Amino acid sequence: MTDSVNGRSLGHAIAADDLGVRYNLRFNRKKSMQRTLSQVLSREPVEQFWALRHVSLRVARGESLAVIGPNGAGKSTLLQVLAGIIRPSEGVIDVRGHVSGLLTLGAGFDQELTGRENILLGGAFLGLDDAVARALLPGIVEYADLGDFIDAPLKAYSSGMRARLGFAIATSVDPDILLLDEVLATGDATFRAKSKERVLELVGGAKAVVLVTHDMTWVQEYCNRALLIEKGHVVLEGEPGEIVTAHREHTEQEKLRKAEAARQAGIAPVIAR
Amino acid sequence: MPSAVIGFDRMSATSEAPAAFHDAAANPGPLDLVNGAISDVISRRRLIRYLVQAEIKKRGVNTVLGNLWWVLDPLLLMAVYVVLVTVISRRSIPDYPLFIFAAILPWKWFTTAVQDSTTSVISQQRLIKQIAFPKIVLPIAATTAGVVGFAFGLIPLGLIMLLYPDRISIFLVLIPIIAAVQYVFTLAVSILVAAGNVFFRDLGNVVRHLLRLWFYLSPGLYALSHLDSIGLMQDHPIFRTLAAMNPFAVLFEAYRGVIYGTETGPPGAPNWYHLGVLLVASVIFLAFAGMVFKRLEPNFAKVL
Repeated sequence: MTDSVNGRSLGHAIAADDLGVRYNLRFNRKKSMQRTLSQVLSREPVEQFWALRHVSLRVARGESLAVIGPNGAGKSTLLQVLAGIIRPSEGVIDVRGHVSGLLTLGAGFDQELTGRENILLGGAFLGLDDAVARALLPGIVEYADLGDFIDAPLKAYSSGMRARLGFAIATSVDPDILLLDEVLATGDATFRAKSKERVLELVGGAKAVVLVTHDMTWVQEYCNRALLIEKGHVVLEGEPGEIVTAHREHTEQEKLRKAEAARQAGIAPVIAR
Repeated sequence: MPSAVIGFDRMSATSEAPAAFHDAAANPGPLDLVNGAISDVISRRRLIRYLVQAEIKKRGVNTVLGNLWWVLDPLLLMAVYVVLVTVISRRSIPDYPLFIFAAILPWKWFTTAVQDSTTSVISQQRLIKQIAFPKIVLPIAATTAGVVGFAFGLIPLGLIMLLYPDRISIFLVLIPIIAAVQYVFTLAVSILVAAGNVFFRDLGNVVRHLLRLWFYLSPGLYALSHLDSIGLMQDHPIFRTLAAMNPFAVLFEAYRGVIYGTETGPPGAPNWYHLGVLLVASVIFLAFAGMVFKRLEPNFAKVL
């Protein structure tokens, strides 16, 4: 690991320069060999799509950064890059410290294993040392609060129980850098309140937080900086209040533009829900 | 229900996921990729163990006879082939059930491992999009779980051997050594198909048919020496050479050598030279497979 990225000094938790993530649409989604072969033979140009382009950002230690933007803007892709799930197609990224993404509610669960076994399996996926996972086990079991179900196979669980177990596993580690992607949307009201407390606790303990959300109250309450992403580009960066306002205006303008385009095309505007 | 929050004990445990440093311009060389694959496996050996245990547990449930299938399956398959070959072929091989069982047992392990590996990566797509972990553990776990099936298959092998007490010999203890060579080869194939299936979802169909063809081209239901009597092989010795170079020709002949012996003679040691060559080739093949997998791995999350 270098001591500086492009001459920039230490002190950041996350530093990204000119990030770009390109999707090659030739291999996107369940392609069959026949389709690929016919595309190669017909010399069809490979369709490419940049989910993110020219994104540079710094997150200092102690900062809490909100990433907002319309659906499909590339917010989740950005988190995936920061978490190391997707490797950027261009640019440099330097993330310092242990990263934990709460993107993971219930992912990797095995239906035939018991809750307890799933905790150990989940810990192994997260890269926890077995001794650490076993030490965390009682705390996770207690927090998930599943009673005797903890030793029943997961297929017997309700979706709420699953969410609880997933949340308990995902939040059992105290990361240096916390990546959150709309985690508060699951579970019943009681669990949501409980999980919010825990997330706040993690936010307090983490050295840096990056949060993707549509909940503007959260952005203004718990973040000290915000990033507005549209169509894969960073449009604005600054005070959460300003960015949220800008985002609202952009959304309104976009709605009007769509309505106008629809009107001109002679189509009755779709009534927004 | 009270909404009191049960707090976690403040724990210093952190995810082992290392700090990420990615430079898109950096292009790892083949050796870096192989090294990466090896360190992935070493650092996540516990994960592989859990996945293997889960896989084994899963196979036991949802069936009436449960784990008994480990034993019944190869026996039934053997019965099918005995009937088939006895009806079709006029050649009669002494103690034929044992003759083919020596091939069915390792082959079943190979096909199960390869087919399970084909879907091992795509079946975890939700997870792959949400956590950064070395994906190579998935086909490795699928292949390793097959070892248990193979080990269980030794029970029916023991039962059949009781019917042919003349064939029982000390050479049976060499089975694990031959199996170890097969494991290395299987691992390489599994890792390749697991990566390929991410990009081509119909690879599973291709693999299934290729496996069937491969079995009939391998000396499983017949001995390698039987090929000498075929006209094509006599006219074109190259085919005979190619047939002998088939990894499963080496493996089947080795297994059969220690379990069954020959049609006229008792069991004996396998051809160590052939096994050794296959082992070296398999290790190189495995390194190649690991390299290909690591090269393709960064794209998995995008394609899934």
